[in-house]
Amino acid sequence: MNWDAVRLSIQVTLVATGVLFVFGLLIALLLARFQFRGKVVVETLINLPLVLPPSVVGYYLLLALGRNSPLVEWFHVQILFTWPAAAIASAVVGLPLMVQASRAAIAGIDPVIENAARTLGSGELELLRRITLPLARRGLLAGLILGGARALGEFGATLMIAGNIPGRTQTLPLAIYDAVQSRRYEMANRMVLIMTVMAFIGLWAVRRLENGRNGR
Amino acid sequence: MHSPRLQIDIEKRLSNFNLRVNLSLESEILVLFGPSGAGKTQTLNAIAGLITPDRGEILFDGTTLFRSREREETVNLPARLRHIGYVFQHYALFPHMTALQNVAYPLKGDDAGGRALELLRQMNLDDLAGRYPHELSGGQQQRVAIARALAAESKVLLLDEPFSALDQSIRQRLHDELRALQSRTGLVVLYVTHNLEDALTVGNRLAIIHHGRIEQVGTIDEIFRSPRNTDVMEILGLPNIFQARVVEASKGCSLIDWKGLRMAVNRELSGETVSGYILPTEIELTDSSRCSDSDGTVPGTVISLRHSTTHHRLTVRLANGCELDVAIGKVETLRPGSTICLRIKEDGVIVAGTTIAR
Repeated sequence: MNWDAVRLSIQVTLVATGVLFVFGLLIALLLARFQFRGKVVVETLINLPLVLPPSVVGYYLLLALGRNSPLVEWFHVQILFTWPAAAIASAVVGLPLMVQASRAAIAGIDPVIENAARTLGSGELELLRRITLPLARRGLLAGLILGGARALGEFGATLMIAGNIPGRTQTLPLAIYDAVQSRRYEMANRMVLIMTVMAFIGLWAVRRLENGRNGR
Repeated sequence: MHSPRLQIDIEKRLSNFNLRVNLSLESEILVLFGPSGAGKTQTLNAIAGLITPDRGEILFDGTTLFRSREREETVNLPARLRHIGYVFQHYALFPHMTALQNVAYPLKGDDAGGRALELLRQMNLDDLAGRYPHELSGGQQQRVAIARALAAESKVLLLDEPFSALDQSIRQRLHDELRALQSRTGLVVLYVTHNLEDALTVGNRLAIIHHGRIEQVGTIDEIFRSPRNTDVMEILGLPNIFQARVVEASKGCSLIDWKGLRMAVNRELSGETVSGYILPTEIELTDSSRCSDSDGTVPGTVISLRHSTTHHRLTVRLANGCELDVAIGKVETLRPGSTICLRIKEDGVIVAGTTIAR
């Protein structure tokens, strides 16, 4: 059993999920509560990873994180072919799922309820903490699990920008590919089983959350 | 000089009309009455700070809540700092909080729960403190919403169609409670409704709003005795509205002509035409054998009649084609098609716009 891959996968997924939560929530709030020029363009851009081949997403990320990118030139952040790059790739492909679910949940909150909180003395941050997030929590959690599950299964883009270095950037999906390539089927079977169980638990939890949505 | 406690003088361009509201409130219940889409809720939203007027001023007890004038810096206190209690049309209780948590929402400090419970007790709701909004009846939700609006120690209470979804008997009780609350606390209450019965039972004064404009403000008596114009009469659903020509006016009396029907008015009118309405209770039945224009009686045919506990409500078509709504004591012999003779008393003819109550 390739425990390094399991550990790396969990590590990458946890970090990716954290990134998903922060950025996904901000974007969802923006899309659900504000009207602005170019909103449709933003929505479409965020959904692109759903339909683009992972290699294309990976290529864009390669440009964004590569040698001549602002990130490297100005901030001297070099993360290409390290596990944080894998986490970024995973977050990008999981983002559309997180944004869609949480945007719907936030848009589903009656704006009058938020206005009521304002007249009762709440500023926007307090409103978010005490009203919007608790009311949207099921949708947010569902989006987070879906996005996280997608991040866990990320393969193509990760391969492009983090490579396939055992013990450093080789996550479970990559390790399974390697195992099959080198005909270590018994190992592949076990890892496939682990992946399937984790994905099943994730989707099952989402279903539970969605079914419970009516009975608050 | 005494100035009113809450002063509103604002303008706001809305999608289908311009809102222009000018109101002054004391410690009272002022009812803002008008048809749906007249700008009532937008007026409340502007006072609460949820929408921003284009220009004007909102003052409360000497504090400027909003001011926007040319060549002056705009003052616009955010909603959270206005301390205005707002009871929304569908209550807008927080669904993920219990009744107690809802009321405690604006309260800070260790004793928030205790104070919230006290407010619920005043509303006779302390037994239900642990229930969630969806476990409460409409009337109970309404009272929680009022308790919550008062929790922030607001001195102004805005109510938007607060009892529209409730049964008549519960409405009556909540109206009584609201009036008692107002007189106990000296709150400034602005109560929005499109239900005339609610408007008449709850309010000290009435403001009639139509197409974003305040048409008339006054006590209920003032408005019914002297509605400002036809719009006001129509909004109030007054019966027997007429447009008449002034035939004669002298010595404190006038004679007007409504499509050939001559009516006496106990007031000297100026101008050529007037509008007004006839009180159905001030029309009486007379002996039909001697019906003639010369002694102020007029013949008519009963079109329909409805029974109520104390009155017959008749619709009568006159010879000039006009229809009159008439309320008379029980007369057993009347039925649709009966020919009758009516006399319209002078006191029953109310002419609009003769004195404008402000």
